[in-house]
Amino acid sequence: MTRWYVLRRLLQVVPTVLGIVLVAFTLIHLAPGDPVLALAGENGDAAYYAFMRHRFGLDQSLPRQLATFLARVVTGDLGHSYVQGRSTLAVIAERIPATALLGCAALFMAAVISIPLGVIAARRADHVRDVSISALALALFSTPTFWLGQMAILIFALALRLFPVQGMTTAASDAVGMQHVLDVAKHLALPAAVLAAQELAVLIRLTRNSMIDELARDHIRTARAKGVGELAVLVRHAFPRALLPVITVAGSRLGHVIAGAAVVEVVFGWPGMGQLLLTALQTRDAPVLLGLFIVVSSSVVVVNVITDLIHAAIDPRIRLG
Amino acid sequence: MLRAVNRVAGGLGLLLLSSASTARATERMQHHERTLVAAIGGDPGHLNPAITTNGGVHTAADLLYDGLISLGPDLKPQPALAERWVVEDKGARYRFFLRHNVRWHDGKPFTSADVKFTFDSVLLRFHSRTRASLGPVLLRIDTPDAYTVVFQLRRPYAPLLAQLDVDEGPIIPKHLYAGTDPLRNPANMAPVGTGPFRFVSYAPGTEIRYKANTDYFGPKPRLDEVVLRVIPDESTQVAALEAGEVDWLFGVPGPERALLKRDPNIRLEQTTVSPGGDNCVSTVGFNLDRPTFADVRVRRGIAHAVDREQFAERVTFGDGRAADAPISSGIAFAHADHLVMPGFDTLQADRLLTAAGWRRSGADVRIAHGIRGIRDGTRFVINFVAMSGMSAYGELLRAQLRRVGIDLRVVSLEPVVYAQTVFTARNFDTAIAPYCEGTDPQIGFQRTLVSSSIGPIPFSNMAGYRNPTMDSLFERAGAALKLDERRRLYRTIQELAVRDQPYLWLVETTSTHAYTTRCTGFGAVAHFAATAVCHR
Repeated sequence: MTRWYVLRRLLQVVPTVLGIVLVAFTLIHLAPGDPVLALAGENGDAAYYAFMRHRFGLDQSLPRQLATFLARVVTGDLGHSYVQGRSTLAVIAERIPATALLGCAALFMAAVISIPLGVIAARRADHVRDVSISALALALFSTPTFWLGQMAILIFALALRLFPVQGMTTAASDAVGMQHVLDVAKHLALPAAVLAAQELAVLIRLTRNSMIDELARDHIRTARAKGVGELAVLVRHAFPRALLPVITVAGSRLGHVIAGAAVVEVVFGWPGMGQLLLTALQTRDAPVLLGLFIVVSSSVVVVNVITDLIHAAIDPRIRLG
Repeated sequence: MLRAVNRVAGGLGLLLLSSASTARATERMQHHERTLVAAIGGDPGHLNPAITTNGGVHTAADLLYDGLISLGPDLKPQPALAERWVVEDKGARYRFFLRHNVRWHDGKPFTSADVKFTFDSVLLRFHSRTRASLGPVLLRIDTPDAYTVVFQLRRPYAPLLAQLDVDEGPIIPKHLYAGTDPLRNPANMAPVGTGPFRFVSYAPGTEIRYKANTDYFGPKPRLDEVVLRVIPDESTQVAALEAGEVDWLFGVPGPERALLKRDPNIRLEQTTVSPGGDNCVSTVGFNLDRPTFADVRVRRGIAHAVDREQFAERVTFGDGRAADAPISSGIAFAHADHLVMPGFDTLQADRLLTAAGWRRSGADVRIAHGIRGIRDGTRFVINFVAMSGMSAYGELLRAQLRRVGIDLRVVSLEPVVYAQTVFTARNFDTAIAPYCEGTDPQIGFQRTLVSSSIGPIPFSNMAGYRNPTMDSLFERAGAALKLDERRRLYRTIQELAVRDQPYLWLVETTSTHAYTTRCTGFGAVAHFAATAVCHR
């Protein structure tokens, strides 16, 4: 049953991605800004621009360009980057690990910190602890990621010298094995923490509200009446059920995390997809932009399927099918 | 489950804590004494400078390549791959004698066939600037033997030498590119050149590594290794320099310069040469297709209303000087000294605008009266189109023009949209461009004034200025071989440009390089690290 469910959900990727590609293709090509102008820079001549447009197929009608693109996508070919002249798939694939590492580390950090804080806040709603934690969540949610990143660099990298300012590894490093892992970890800490901040805020609020709902239910009252200790009530009875919506939302935050990663990657010089997205937007590198949209939208659907599976594994009431 | 999560979290925390404590020590330990780490603002995407004019690619790739000649600090041609040259047929033929025993980094010999192939099959097809400037002049390239190259031109052409350095004419290896698509050749990602440094590795979005070419035909590099580190955000670049993670920045944003000046471990150096181009002048163009600017008195009136010194101080934060002639002082032989430009004089501005039919109506308003093509009573409202990075010029210009009753509205666009709006659609009243004039007025200055450059080409004749006398003067200046004659012609050109005032030449912008005091001996941008040395 589960197998069919997963297969059916994965097949839903096709129309979803197709829809996204159609909208993105139209928007990219109708938006002002000419990739050949971006590529040629200063001082080309008219013949040069015509020659380059022909090379990229930009002199064809929009429906024809779309048909050519879709025919290629079906065979797994996303074309070549206008700017880099390399296969779009290769250009994107080399950036995925960095973004995946940053995104997973940020979500993990957010979950590990926010869930206990949410539980503590819910324990006594509207108490000073709850208000303080909620205020912290609101402050984190309202702080622009760009500014938070700069502050983190000034305080933790420049003033305290605890972490490096930028990059994923030390410049010119030949480190391998454990040394390489440590090197990446120390570079990961600040960007992941900054990216986690917004997620942290969302998850704290969600855990808190979910826990407050659970704590008001009859079975909790019964447990307390039976003399079950407060810690056990929280951890064994209320928490597992309160966690379900948190897991669902945490999974669906992937899109937000990737969007937030674009800013964090620029501030910290982290070599991921976000940085690539920004460059591709500035240069109107349509094949790379479309490739990124396909990769990100597919990932969101796949992660949602995984979230459903985890949901079902935790909650015996849920049957996939 | 909670316990498991806590255990993993604890492990991650310990890992980060232990790595953080060693962060600074490791940074220094792995940063070798004779390694220079420089920051670049973006991933170049590839390392073939012959297929693009993109400043990012040239910054990253020029260390690997050479041109036939190089240009000294005074812009005088110096031998590079060509050890000498002679100019024949009154400037219509240039004969270059190549160095013997120059080898590509893969050991293959460099010959005249590489030069001919590079120009014929790559530069004149894909390098937009070389194609546009040299293409119409060049008849053919001959290679009478393996070490002689002859450029046969259609007519005498003086600036040829200024267009053969590594920026404008990098020579790439025929044996790797012949018979392939130069835009998709794998060597673009693992380049083989003749330059002072050899390619080691390229991690997209992270860094590019080079090692010294110990067989280099010129002075041997004193560094062992150069690393170009991709750091897109300028503030982060500055922080990385302060933290000792990088040694060299190609540019420092204005507000941060004051901060770095106070740091005894950092030196700052101003230059007119930058990765984006040489000798750039921030220039405001009037759209001469619009009736508002048909009368030269309006253009001159606006020129008198503008205080250029304020732009140098408040917009570039001192990274530039008020322009005192249309041609940058960086092109010393052509720059017109003591040229009379319209000075800051709001009374004169007022007189000229009123005389042109723009009468005052209240303190801050001016309306049209008897101007051809404009309805009487129309308010003097114009737009100012700028790339997002240059909109600060518009804000200051708006404040200055308000004093003479002109309402300027700033339209800030991202670069690709800006280029399309201004140069293709010509949908603007006034616009600003960072015209980089290059090493010779024929390269980057001529395009702003000759009528053949009016068209949908970025950074061409933005004003749409047409003057047959100007066209003829540029033609003569391009063909004149004697420097004195060229100097005289460029002076006349600048006087005519100031008289007709199709543009406001605001600020000669400079870049500020910043570097740690442990490194010295940097050269110009193309081979900036070739002569540098770093100590512990």
